[in-house]
Amino acid sequence: MSAIVVQRALVLPQRVLASLGRATRRQVHFTLLLGALSLGLFREAARPHAWRRTVRGEFHRLLRESLGGGFATVLVTAALVGVALVNQTLYWLIQIGQENLIGSMLVNGLVRGIGPVLVGLILLGRSGMPMVAQLVGARAGGQVHAMEAQGLDPFLLLVLPRAFALAAASFTLTVIFIAVALVTGFIADTLLQSSTVTFGTFLGQMEKALVLADVVVFPIKASGIGHLIALTAGITALEGSRHATTAHLLPQTFVRGILVIITFNVVLSLVT
Amino acid sequence: MPATRPVLELVELQLPAASGELPSYKIYFALMPGEVALVDVRSREADASFADMCSGLVPFPRGAVRFLGHDWAQIPDYYAAALRGRIGRIFAAGGWIEFLDVATNVLLPQLHHTHEDEAVLRERATQLACAFGLPGLPLGHTDDLSALDLARCACVRAFLGKPDLLLFESPVQGRGLFVELLSPLLNAIAAARSEGTAVIWFTQSDMIWNDHSFPASHRFHLHDHGLVSARREQDAPAV
Repeated sequence: MSAIVVQRALVLPQRVLASLGRATRRQVHFTLLLGALSLGLFREAARPHAWRRTVRGEFHRLLRESLGGGFATVLVTAALVGVALVNQTLYWLIQIGQENLIGSMLVNGLVRGIGPVLVGLILLGRSGMPMVAQLVGARAGGQVHAMEAQGLDPFLLLVLPRAFALAAASFTLTVIFIAVALVTGFIADTLLQSSTVTFGTFLGQMEKALVLADVVVFPIKASGIGHLIALTAGITALEGSRHATTAHLLPQTFVRGILVIITFNVVLSLVT
Repeated sequence: MPATRPVLELVELQLPAASGELPSYKIYFALMPGEVALVDVRSREADASFADMCSGLVPFPRGAVRFLGHDWAQIPDYYAAALRGRIGRIFAAGGWIEFLDVATNVLLPQLHHTHEDEAVLRERATQLACAFGLPGLPLGHTDDLSALDLARCACVRAFLGKPDLLLFESPVQGRGLFVELLSPLLNAIAAARSEGTAVIWFTQSDMIWNDHSFPASHRFHLHDHGLVSARREQDAPAV
């Protein structure tokens, strides 16, 4: 009798714990999935058999598409950011006689902050959204099933090359973005305010403001954002209900993508 | 491969009751190298489900499906994927990856599973495409091709890797009946059979089923009572 009472007394805390666990898992389901998929992807990518010529072919095709698709937008955005942010930073710091802060202001604002985030948003729109449409179409049209029937692993052919192609594209475009923004910002400052700061001093200040952590964190951040955009698109497209339409999944990917980009950026910014 | 070992073997296969289009009866079936099984099916879903089962894609509670002596349920995923590369399949629903061009779609399984030079594969695919009535290997996208030309491309993809097993889901039936595809397809089957390839041809067409010159080694009905033999032709003539 007493054993039954003890057993019943234990059931309630177990149920409470289970319901708490269920609710927590539901809330962090996407984050856990993103982490698990990312780890699985790196594990799979480390295997030599994963990079067959079909996967390599897809990687090259997607890299060309993401770089080509985002290049012009990145140039225009970088030029606008250069005029607006870099030029204004130079102007106001020179006005208040704080030229020595130019480097740290631009490294914090452009390199660690706005650069990777804006490139991430451009990639989300130019490559992440088409990716969702392609994957939803592939799943709904039975193409994923046909791939499995032919012994083609959809994870290897659809997800892995996309994740690494977007990571490489994101890193490349972020470097281009920062370089273009700095150059256009300096040119705008020279033309508009006939600045006393030379380009050499300007670059020297930037170099001084960079710390060792930037050398490590910047590539991780710049490529990681592209990687996470691809995974977000992949999870949203392939994990969603079979009846979910592209019209439903695109806004979901957009919202998730923005949250992932900003969160990842903030977390890595805290490290430096 | 010794001729005594079946290419495909369904041993006391008990399908789950909720398998939808497939019968819930036990199925016994063995297909030897060079044999052709013509299977009369009631619906497209049934032939796709049966073909999936032969490819080890459908789990089942009892029995075994063995391909080249390997039980699909007993082998690891990567090995099963590699074995599926030895199956040529024509999908009723097309099975074309829309964001890739047709040529890449046709070559994709062989590029993935083999180390054969791409130029050699492309050359062989072009020869097959010509044999099936195409001017060459189409370079455009699937939307640019007619249903008949896509059916021809599906044949090229299925035969390209000299597979051990061919699974045809109503290969000459699209929106209509592709009669002009029948002759080159039967010729290709005859050539493949001589090299030991086994074939399962699912059909809903009375014209194919009632054609007694069709080189079927086995004829089956796939219906509610399971896979029932219609008749057996010994030494069926090759076309």
